[in-house]
Amino acid sequence: MSVNRPPTATATLGQSLFDVDGALSETAGRLPTRGQFIRRGGRRLAAGAVGGAGLALGIGFVPGSAHARSEREDLAILNFALALEYLQASFYTEAERVGALHGPLAQQARVVGSHERAHVAALRAVLGRQAIARPRFDFRGTTDDPKSFRATAVALEDLSVGAYKEQLPRINSDHYLAAAVAIQSVEGRHAAWIRRLAGIVPAVNAFDEPVSDRRTVQLVNATRFVTLKVPHTSSKRSPSFTG
Amino acid sequence: MNRGGWIVLAVSLIVIACAVTLWPGGHRAPGGSARSPAPGAQASLAALPQPSKGFAIPRPRLLRDRAGVTRWAPVLEAAEARERPTRSSPGVVRVGTQTPEGTTNLVVVIGEAVRHGVTWVHARLAVLPDARTGWLPRSVLGGWQFVMTHLVINRARETLTLLRAGRVVFRTRVGVGKPSTPTPAGQFYIRDRLTRYASPEYGPLAFGTSARSPYETDWPAGGFIGIHGTDQPGLIPGQVSHGCIRLRNPAIRALGRLLPIGTPVTIT
Repeated sequence: MSVNRPPTATATLGQSLFDVDGALSETAGRLPTRGQFIRRGGRRLAAGAVGGAGLALGIGFVPGSAHARSEREDLAILNFALALEYLQASFYTEAERVGALHGPLAQQARVVGSHERAHVAALRAVLGRQAIARPRFDFRGTTDDPKSFRATAVALEDLSVGAYKEQLPRINSDHYLAAAVAIQSVEGRHAAWIRRLAGIVPAVNAFDEPVSDRRTVQLVNATRFVTLKVPHTSSKRSPSFTG
Repeated sequence: MNRGGWIVLAVSLIVIACAVTLWPGGHRAPGGSARSPAPGAQASLAALPQPSKGFAIPRPRLLRDRAGVTRWAPVLEAAEARERPTRSSPGVVRVGTQTPEGTTNLVVVIGEAVRHGVTWVHARLAVLPDARTGWLPRSVLGGWQFVMTHLVINRARETLTLLRAGRVVFRTRVGVGKPSTPTPAGQFYIRDRLTRYASPEYGPLAFGTSARSPYETDWPAGGFIGIHGTDQPGLIPGQVSHGCIRLRNPAIRALGRLLPIGTPVTIT
């Protein structure tokens, strides 16, 4: 990395992603916990045993409160996904705006950036007013040169694939699940594309490991890509201009 | 059927009913429909409904051409701007983290260079003589910000024109500097935005620029040029100011809704 700033994403992302303002951990905090996830599985089991006869008669049984809870959990997962998509979309958009990339790498950033922005638009549309706000990012020089960009893009795409993999089985709504699956498979293609450009084997293992929401938050925090240092560009001070 | 056969049939039905319920997809989810059991993950995925209209993934859109995009960054650490991108190069000026108005100082980027592993940023500077540039280490600057706007002020015609992505989005007549204190010409940028102050001569809104008047250096804060409203609208257009760009108040309010910080300013 050619920028003499404290080592961040490129150094830490490779091993193991944001949260100075709490955006990601806030959304992660609303996710169903592993315990809740397992308990829900238990409830499904019990409901299955008790409701077996009902199902055989074609009677569905979904309590109203459970319905609302499922919807809340799904929205939390979608907001968590939105946070990751904000991160990726902003990263590629900045890389393209800076203009330091050329050839296949520039092509990858151009195309993948358009996909990530589409993912953001889709998630924001379905979340409506409940969508979290876009955080302010400082990519700390990782968009300024091809080498830093490539290493960071590999880490971000790998993380995205793992994070989606962890959340997919927790989604209650089939419609949301269908959309999330559609996004996750594209993230897998992005990961393979940038890995190929980086000279890394696109698919190392036969099975991908999921990345927990807690781990995802840790990794994003480590990058320090989300910044609290928002430029203060407005004031109520009386002008001292020449007039 | 004997009694044993009925028991076997009943147990079989319960097992089948449980299997149907527990199949990933057998659970009817809110807003979704029950999935049919299928003999494999692929078939199960294929059985998923299409994402609802509320969750349609839009057609990916490529960014527009980079032409017309200006990059700026806040100054996070005070640093010496250099004539060339090396630490041994003579200093141009010390760039601070705040403007005279107490807002975050920022610089507009016009180039980059890497020397000995250090990224340097070629930036416009808010110093005299106007239109000076200098090199700052990338490390003292914050995250990149981008604008697609460009403000053009024509002193001879006494006009202000705002362009976005190359297209005119706003135009108005303005007051410019008197012949004794002319508005400086050159390439500058918008640094900050001041509102709700108690100085009616500046109107309801003022933008600070990186331009400085060489004729008003003893002015408070060094004679920076602003773009602001007025309490004397009858003087506009005309050569009436000490260097600032004056707009009628409805015009400055309209500009205030369109002009982002970091916008480059060309004064001809």
